[in-house]
Amino acid sequence: MKLLFKTLSLYFVSLSVSANVDIDIIIEEGMNFARPIAVVPFEYKGIAERPPHDIASVVAADLRRSGRFNPMPYNEMPEHPVTHKEVNLEAWKKKGIEAVVVGKVEELTPGQFTVSYQLIDVFKPKQKIEDGELVTNQDYLLLNRSGVASQQNYRFYSHQVADAIYEALTGERGAFATRIAYVTVDRTLVQPFQLYMADSDGFNPQRIFSSKEAIMSPTWTPDGRALAYVSFENGRSEIYLQHIYTGQRDMIAAFPGINSAPEFSPDGKKLALTLSKDGNAEIYILDLTTRQYRRLTYTTANVIDTEPSFSPDGRWIIFTSDRGGRPQIYRVSVNGGNAERITFEGEYNASATYTPDGKSIILVNRTNGVYHIAIQDIETGILQVLTDTMLDESPSLAPNGSMVIYATIHNGRQVLAAVSTDGRFKARLPAKRGEVKAPAWSPFLLN
Amino acid sequence: MSIKGLGKNLIITLPALFLFACSSTDTDTGPATTDTTQNQTTTTPQQPVKTAEELAAEANAKAREVRTVYFEFDDSTVKAEYQDLLKAHAWYLSRNPAVQIVVEGHCDERGTPEYNLALGERRGNSVKDILISYGVSSSQIRVVSYGEEKPANPAHNESAWSQNRRAILSYEG
Repeated sequence: MKLLFKTLSLYFVSLSVSANVDIDIIIEEGMNFARPIAVVPFEYKGIAERPPHDIASVVAADLRRSGRFNPMPYNEMPEHPVTHKEVNLEAWKKKGIEAVVVGKVEELTPGQFTVSYQLIDVFKPKQKIEDGELVTNQDYLLLNRSGVASQQNYRFYSHQVADAIYEALTGERGAFATRIAYVTVDRTLVQPFQLYMADSDGFNPQRIFSSKEAIMSPTWTPDGRALAYVSFENGRSEIYLQHIYTGQRDMIAAFPGINSAPEFSPDGKKLALTLSKDGNAEIYILDLTTRQYRRLTYTTANVIDTEPSFSPDGRWIIFTSDRGGRPQIYRVSVNGGNAERITFEGEYNASATYTPDGKSIILVNRTNGVYHIAIQDIETGILQVLTDTMLDESPSLAPNGSMVIYATIHNGRQVLAAVSTDGRFKARLPAKRGEVKAPAWSPFLLN
Repeated sequence: MSIKGLGKNLIITLPALFLFACSSTDTDTGPATTDTTQNQTTTTPQQPVKTAEELAAEANAKAREVRTVYFEFDDSTVKAEYQDLLKAHAWYLSRNPAVQIVVEGHCDERGTPEYNLALGERRGNSVKDILISYGVSSSQIRVVSYGEEKPANPAHNESAWSQNRRAILSYEG
């Protein structure tokens, strides 16, 4: 990401990465699996001297950060075409590039930008022989799109361009036009605890809530318009729901004991949570329409049941329980009944969530005292450790299931890190100051 | 010197007087403490101004200056070494039923924050149960868990963790 900005700074000298980002992304491992592609800088014609952001560099950084692609540096590109017709397929083929993105931006009315772009498969011929005649063939054109972006949503629109390209090349929906919520802790501040949300690449951080007391467990509503989280503002754990656009904030749960681990059902109508009002930590389901609570688990005194999470079809709840002595993951029907233990590897398994296909779970695994993020296939029970960092916790999946963001300790500070769900790609997300934890990846966002 | 060690020393250096104090109301104290009663009443004539009860209260106040109980990793059992300390707090609380206390439960950062919030509560409840067993009314005790969110030492190492796995007895008002 950094290198890319360096090369493009020839074009956009004033473009500053650090001005509006709190979190950098440093790729540590996995680029050897990445496919070589090129995102040629988009041509710009407009009233303003330059566009609000450099779309091509945002797109290239997104694609690089997915771990699936290795975009070519600008100064190695053999040519700088603007439309697909100008692309010399042979020139790119010689450089080993599989696909090329070209495009242009036109500001037709002030603050309104028309963005057109094309994705070209370098290995499909531009011409073919049909009925003995050489005809132009557009099979090589994988995408040919245009759209309008405003000054305000220009950068987010760039992520949508990256999503379209990612989907065309992988067959999997892109998750760049999403957000990540996280908690920062800076004990030098009057309000050390702050809840933020930023774009998926760390840009545009916006403070949602700040407090003198701890903030925990942020989680998104399925429509991406609100966050539930635990706040200690009244000296104890309580659950709040805050709408990010209107700022409306409601107390959801403040029972005696702990009020913890909120997690929405896929349809957004229910909230699973942990309460200890009846003695020990148990799982409850709150119907958000009727405001009725239903207790889901019944264990003996002193057992901890917590960290509930819905299956993608909404029929199951997986949760952490130490009813067997050590924390392990159990599964229970949302209608209640007996819970079945589903993790058996390692001495501690917690904080589990389903992957979007419902076939695996992502969790925190402790084996021989070491805490790592792992993935377990539900049917086979096979567990694969994904990370090699220290004291990993709070895993949160991208909505397309490709990547996990989590909290870890690096150089004596709590920071965020990311790993692909196949374990190949690893990145660190160091913050400018303080510590960062409790990341929560948003669902797909419509705009 | 660790805070843990300090707590232990305070308990050891407590005058036997305090044990006498415990025995004066507790019905379940054994014959050993009854003997102490005898010793105590004969060794305190130097300060005739203060009654035995006052002296006991002073000793108890001294003992109650220690308000932290430390736990083993991933464990919520109160260690035997803290029984006397909790007895001291219970002695005071049972004599002052209007006094309210908050038992704060804390964890080190290892493990998930949500599990630790529940573990912190379990640690607080362990302390609460012991206080109740020594005659404190449950209505005087409120348990609040902070999980791993309020470390005594925010560093990420073994030494910090041992200071963070704790329950704190905090008197309200």
